[in-house]
Amino acid sequence: MKRKLKLSRVLLVAAAILLGLVIALPFLWVVSASLQTETGIFRRPPSWLPDPVTIDNYGYVFTGKIPEAYAARGLLRSTVTQEAQYLPIGLQNSLMIATSVVVINLLFGTLAAYTFARERFRGQAAAFSFILTSRLLPGMAVAIPTYMIIRQMGLLDSKTALVLIYSAFTLPFTIWVLTLYFRSLPRDYEEAAQVDGCTRFQALRHIVLPLAAPGLAAVGAFSFLFSYDEFLFALLTTSSLNSKTVPVMIATISVNPDASYTLIAVGIVLSIIAPIILAIIFRRFITSGLVSSLGRA
Amino acid sequence: MQAEIGLRPNLVRRWASGVPAHPWLTVAPVLALVALFTLFPFIYAAVTSTRQVILTLPDQTPFVGLKNYLDVLQDMSARQAAVNAVVFSVVAVTAVTLLGLSVALLLNQPIRGFGILRALVLLPWAIPLVSAGIIWRLLLHGDFGAFNGLLLQLGIVHSYIPWLSSRQLALGAVIVAHVWREFPLPAILFLAGLQVIPPDVVDAATVDGAGAWQRFRYVILPLLKAPMLIVLVYETMIAVTVFDLVYVLTGGGPGSATTLFSWYAYAATFHFLNLGQGAALSFVMAAVLLLFIAIYLRVLRVGRDDT
Repeated sequence: MKRKLKLSRVLLVAAAILLGLVIALPFLWVVSASLQTETGIFRRPPSWLPDPVTIDNYGYVFTGKIPEAYAARGLLRSTVTQEAQYLPIGLQNSLMIATSVVVINLLFGTLAAYTFARERFRGQAAAFSFILTSRLLPGMAVAIPTYMIIRQMGLLDSKTALVLIYSAFTLPFTIWVLTLYFRSLPRDYEEAAQVDGCTRFQALRHIVLPLAAPGLAAVGAFSFLFSYDEFLFALLTTSSLNSKTVPVMIATISVNPDASYTLIAVGIVLSIIAPIILAIIFRRFITSGLVSSLGRA
Repeated sequence: MQAEIGLRPNLVRRWASGVPAHPWLTVAPVLALVALFTLFPFIYAAVTSTRQVILTLPDQTPFVGLKNYLDVLQDMSARQAAVNAVVFSVVAVTAVTLLGLSVALLLNQPIRGFGILRALVLLPWAIPLVSAGIIWRLLLHGDFGAFNGLLLQLGIVHSYIPWLSSRQLALGAVIVAHVWREFPLPAILFLAGLQVIPPDVVDAATVDGAGAWQRFRYVILPLLKAPMLIVLVYETMIAVTVFDLVYVLTGGGPGSATTLFSWYAYAATFHFLNLGQGAALSFVMAAVLLLFIAIYLRVLRVGRDDT
C-alpha cells in the first residue's frame, strides 16, 4: 500500500512538472528569442539559450539604434523595424485606456451595483436582466454599427472611443459581480452607521466598500485585462499612434512577411509584462471572482 | 415602496436622509452606455442584414428581405467555413474541457509546491489573445519554430514541418494554440468545484470499496455538473466566435483550411465590404450559439435527473 502511494505521488509530481513546462516553455522561449540575433534564431538545431545574448532588439525599440547584426548580414528590414519603434507609445495607449476603464468600472459600476443590491425600484428587474443578457452578444455581430457610432461621434482613432466601448462591455460583468457581492454583505453595519448619522453615501464609502474590497479587486483586474487584451474593436477604430493599442501593433507587425522575428518576440515580451504582473498580484481575487460570478451565472 | 416614486415631499425627505433621491440616477448612465454599444448596434445590424449593403455601392441599399440569409445557406464557402467551425469547436471544446478537468484534479492534490503551479496556470489566459497567437505562430514556424526544433532533437521528425502553412495540419495547429490559451479557465472552475466536495463523501465511497476511477465517475463527476455546464457553455461561445487567433496565426489559410465561420463573417464584412452579408453571417453565428447553449442546458438537466 505504501509503495503504491509513493508511486502515485511520483506520477503526480511528474504530471505537474510536465504541466509547468507546457505552460512556461512557450513564454521562456519567446524571451530567449527576443534576446537572439536575427541569424541566431534560424540555427538548426535551435540554440535554446541565446548565443550570443543581445539586447540590441530591445535597444532598437526604445532608442532606434539599429542592431548591428542586421547591418552586417544585409538583413535590414526597414518597414517593420520602423513599426516596432512605436511599441512604447502603444504600451502607453493601452495602459491609459485600460486604467480609465478600470476607474469607470469602479466608479459607475459600484454605484449602480449598490443600487441594484439595496434599492427596490420600478423597472429594476428589467434593467438588471438587460445588463446580464447584453453579455451574450458576440462582438462580431455589433462591430460595424459600433464603428458607425464612433464615426458619428467624431471619435474615430481616439482613446476615448475605446474607453467608451470597453466600459460598455465590462460594466455588465462588473455590476453582476458586485451586486452579488453587496447582497451577500449583512445590512446591519450600514444601518448602524446611518443611525450614527452617516449619509447613505458615507456608509457606502466607509463601511461597504472596505468589506467589498476583494470583489472590487476582482472586477478591477477583469476590466483591466479585458481592455488591455481586446483586439477586434481596437483594430477597427484605431488608425494612428494617437490610439493604436499594443495588440493591434504586434498583430500588424507579426502578419507582415518582412517582419524580423526577433523583433516580433520583443513585441510579445513587452505586450505580456503588464497582464502577467497583474495576474500574479491579483491571482486570488481573479480566481474567486471568476468562480463566484460564473459559478452563479 | 413603488408608490413613493413621483411624490415630491417624500423624495425630498429621502434625499435629506441620505437615500439616493432616485435609484435611476446611478443606474441610468450605465444602462445608456451599455445600450448604446449593444442594443443599438444589435438593432442596426438586424436591419442591415435584411438589406443589400455593399460599401463599394454606397447609394444603393435596397431591402432584400432574407436574401442575405439564403445566400449564406447556399454559399459553398460559407458551408465550408461552417464545417471548419464545427470541427474546430467540437475538438477544441472537448480538449479544453478534458484538459481543464485533468489539470484541476492534479492541482487538487495536497502536494507541496503545487501553489506555484496554481499561479502559473492563469498566465496563458491573462495575456492578450493576440500575443498568445503570435507566440504559437513563432513556435510552430516552419523555418525556425521551437516546436520543430524540439521534435528534431528528440528524433521524432527529420525535417522541419510547416505546421501553419500545411492544408492538413493548419487547423490542428490553431486548435493546439487555442487549447493552450483556454484551458486555464476550466481548470480554475473545476478546481473550485473539487474544493467544495466534502472529503467524507469521497472517503465513504473508498470505505465501500470504490476504486479511483469509480470514485471519480460516480461520486466526483456528478458533483461537478454545475462547473461542467458553465465550462461547456462558455467555451462553446469562445470557440464559435474565435477571431484574434485566426487573424495572427493563419489569416484563414492556407486556402480555406482555417477559415472558421467567425473569420468568414469578418472577411465578408471587412475584406469584401459586403456589410449586409456580414451582418447576416453574424446573426447566423449568434443563433447557432444560442442553440448550443440551449442544448447543453437540456442535456445537463436530463443528466441531473438520472443521478
